[in-house]
Amino acid sequence: MKLNRRNFLKTIGIGSLLVGLVGQLYTWIRSLFPNVSYESVRRVKLDEPDKIPDGVTFIDDIKAYIFREGKTFYAISAVCTHLGCTVKYVGLSKPKIVKIGGKEVEVKWEFHCPCHGSKFYGDGTNYAGPAPRPLDWVKVEISPEDGKLVLDLNKTVPQNYKLTV
Amino acid sequence: MAELEVKQKRLNGRGLFWTWSPRSEKEAGESIVRNLLLHWFPAKVTLKSLSWGYSLWLGTITAALFLILGITGVILMFLYVPSVERAYQSIKDIEYVVSFGWFIRAMHRNAAHLMVASAFLHMVRVFLTGAYKNGIGVGQNRPLNWIVGVVLLLITLLLSFTGYLLPWDQLAFWAITVGTNIAKSAPLVGEWIRFILLGGHEIEQNALIRFYVLHCFFLPSAVLILFSYHMWRIRKDGGLACVDNLVLSQKKEKVKDGIKSKTYSLLGLTTGRTVQVEATLLDEEKYTVNSVPFLIRRIGLVMLGTFIFVALISLFINAPLEEPANPNVTPNPAKAPWYFLWLQELVAITTIRIGGFVLNGAFIGGILIPGVLVLLLAIWPYFDKSSNLNTGVWFGKERIRQNIVFLVLCFFVILLIIIGTYMRGPNWEFYFPWEPWPEIPKKF
Amino acid sequence: MEKEKLKKDVIAIYAVAVIGLIVTLIVYVGYFTPEWKMYQSEFKKYVKQKLGEEKAKGIETGIKQIYVKELRRVDRCITCHMGYEWKGLENAPNPFKTHPKEILDKHPVSKYGCTICHGGQGYALNKEEAHGFIEHWEEPLLGKELEDLYRPPDRKVLMQMNCNICHRYDTLTAGADYINYAKKLVKEKGCRACHKINGRGGVIGPDLTYEGDKAPEQFDYARIGGRKSVFAWHVAHFKNPKMVSPESIMPEMGFGSREAIALTLLMLSWKKVHLPPEYYPQSYTALADLPTPEEIEKERQMREGEGAFFVNKGCFVCHSISVFGIESAAKIGPDLSNAVEDVPSRFGKTLENFIKEPTGTMAIVLGSQITLTDEEKATVVQLLTKAYEKYRKQQLTSKH
Repeated sequence: MKLNRRNFLKTIGIGSLLVGLVGQLYTWIRSLFPNVSYESVRRVKLDEPDKIPDGVTFIDDIKAYIFREGKTFYAISAVCTHLGCTVKYVGLSKPKIVKIGGKEVEVKWEFHCPCHGSKFYGDGTNYAGPAPRPLDWVKVEISPEDGKLVLDLNKTVPQNYKLTV
Repeated sequence: MAELEVKQKRLNGRGLFWTWSPRSEKEAGESIVRNLLLHWFPAKVTLKSLSWGYSLWLGTITAALFLILGITGVILMFLYVPSVERAYQSIKDIEYVVSFGWFIRAMHRNAAHLMVASAFLHMVRVFLTGAYKNGIGVGQNRPLNWIVGVVLLLITLLLSFTGYLLPWDQLAFWAITVGTNIAKSAPLVGEWIRFILLGGHEIEQNALIRFYVLHCFFLPSAVLILFSYHMWRIRKDGGLACVDNLVLSQKKEKVKDGIKSKTYSLLGLTTGRTVQVEATLLDEEKYTVNSVPFLIRRIGLVMLGTFIFVALISLFINAPLEEPANPNVTPNPAKAPWYFLWLQELVAITTIRIGGFVLNGAFIGGILIPGVLVLLLAIWPYFDKSSNLNTGVWFGKERIRQNIVFLVLCFFVILLIIIGTYMRGPNWEFYFPWEPWPEIPKKF
Repeated sequence: MEKEKLKKDVIAIYAVAVIGLIVTLIVYVGYFTPEWKMYQSEFKKYVKQKLGEEKAKGIETGIKQIYVKELRRVDRCITCHMGYEWKGLENAPNPFKTHPKEILDKHPVSKYGCTICHGGQGYALNKEEAHGFIEHWEEPLLGKELEDLYRPPDRKVLMQMNCNICHRYDTLTAGADYINYAKKLVKEKGCRACHKINGRGGVIGPDLTYEGDKAPEQFDYARIGGRKSVFAWHVAHFKNPKMVSPESIMPEMGFGSREAIALTLLMLSWKKVHLPPEYYPQSYTALADLPTPEEIEKERQMREGEGAFFVNKGCFVCHSISVFGIESAAKIGPDLSNAVEDVPSRFGKTLENFIKEPTGTMAIVLGSQITLTDEEKATVVQLLTKAYEKYRKQQLTSKH
């Protein structure tokens, strides 16, 4: 009977010691997992479509190039598909004809990645360097509230996704 | 078959933690000598050293608090941003959105305050028991260890002080303003010390990052190094001073003529007979026990108890955070941290005017008096001429006068701290604790 | 026997461990049951009951925050005020109520957050501290609690103060009638004659451009009753400047509560803020606070015209001198245009003698607030004689 009580106390004691210490230890680990994020937004609202400049514009907030060709808008992500550096827009002095997916296409600009030399045609197709796949295209849409142009990284779109207004 | 045996040996759990297995007792002993932690502790320890009443275990408590501060401090380093734009916000985040953040910060802050108190009380204990005095062993240098302890106490104060600025709130900003201006009033070098400490003339980003590096790296490293030496010295000085006392009283009882024993040196640092060797004269069964498990267990108890105590009070006492730092507005009253309040009280009352000649209280109260006190502390053991019968006993008979002087000084410091903390209101005016302060105005 | 005693350490360790476990459990109970979780689960229940199970299922739980980098603000209000964007909760009780839509359309939450308009402590996650009625937080919620305290004549007006952080340079801001009224008063009463506001104005009174940044410690509350706050100080001071600070030469304008509170809100909104240009409503065209050419001319005439002496000395605070184009804000004293004939009729001595030995109110004013040297006194007489000549001419021309 006495021995049992002793064992019981011992179990309680060592048990609470272990549980308590593990509990304290977990507070330290848990505190390192953030509950809120200060990271930048993944959706940006630009101006009205007719106020977007013709040609190419770089949008800082989400690292993407937006293109305007008259009434048509599209955007290509500037994040290299290799290791995430920001690719540079390179305008070509002379347009060149290249084959993309079996079709002959005229290319007026390219994207070059400064980190490891990946190169992409104007539509984002990779043709040189280590990049494994074409640059992502970004969803362009008209905001329902005020008719402004919105770029949204949360939604994925296929290559050559264009918006005509 | 042979191959299988080797594999099994490798799989043996021991292989993960030991690079070799001791083949004899001698080797096993050496392994302990080579181990830093085990080297701090002797194989056997006297009951007196283990008792609650002699040492009050204040040193161990201080060390435990430092350990808590180290752990919670590292966590906080991951969460805090040392920039004037982000510091305050990151503390608010620790308080509100980091899981357990408020608790970790409260533990860090409470442990810091307790560490200042326990280091101070540890010093008081060592003084009152005459434990800075050498006893009977050759190669003892307890006065040196006392000085190391005084330095450790000063670094503890600096650690608390540098930690104060980091939240970048009004409390932080003005406590550091008052503190660094006390440093400034030192003759000749004061201005220079403040400049180098703040990295400029104002408390700005430069000051913040300097205090941060001092607080998180430089000062803790200094504590670790000195603490290791402090512990090693205790061992080399023959353990706690009460052991010397015990040996002496035993000697009187048992041995009338000279002691025959071997002489050896350890690492060439000590020569002559060490206390441990003399201690073998002790009636082992009567006065000593094995360190494992008795000493280790009690250290574990004290450390655990300290930890739980800090956790418990952190449930009720949370770390404060005032308005963001505003260099244009001094809150009223602006107080230094409590362990400096006796200095603030001194600087407020010690400005001396003789005719047109003014001696700033910041110099007398902030530099001269504390400087003299620290110097006095450091050299005291060298002027303590009491016999070694007073080593390691509470209130030794030959040290009554010393103890009274020391206690009176401590009493004054504590009294000034209490006045500064509880009885100084706006404009540093005196208020009794039951008197209400004038209402502090708000914006709305 | 001693060893037996030492063995009791084991029991002590167990006892401490049990206390430790209890402490740890308390910490964890707090972790699992914060206040905001209660609000979130109540919100779910409420939505389920009002809008159906389907909608309630879609609600994401957890700490929510709006981080507005440009304004350096983090607002976690929406962790509890979950219904702010929902349709169909317009009549729900707080904190679940839908935020009025029109104002949010112009001021999207993602660009402004909550506290820039409402006040309160965006960092906090419990009601008391988030609403900011605590020690060491100077931006409490500008809502019902404060209005119960200060009782402005109209409700929901305190928040207008924060409209003016961005709308500072507007003349009229839709929906901010108190601020608009206060701005009108600033022009009408000619505050700029004495005070510099936004870099323009006189130097007789203090510069008010960043009056809203002044800390509570910088005011003297000795002569105001009730709550000791900057807000209360300003309201009292507008109503009766001399009572609140006796050495002030600011005239009493006869403001009631409405005027005093409107002006206080305007003044407290004048803060140094880091505001990117796109937050100023008219920054693309022009700042609307620019003065009209007539106003500039009027101010120029006051400061540099014939009567500049009276402006610089502060006489114009009480007295107009209409022939010199000086218009007093308070109009407490008589117009000095005809002082040469007016003084003898009032005091029975010539202007020259009156200036040397004034009686009545002017004895106090010239004795303490505006001190004049003998030369200056001569200038006064000379200038006022000139003014009288002008006045006579005007009288004659108007008669014919």
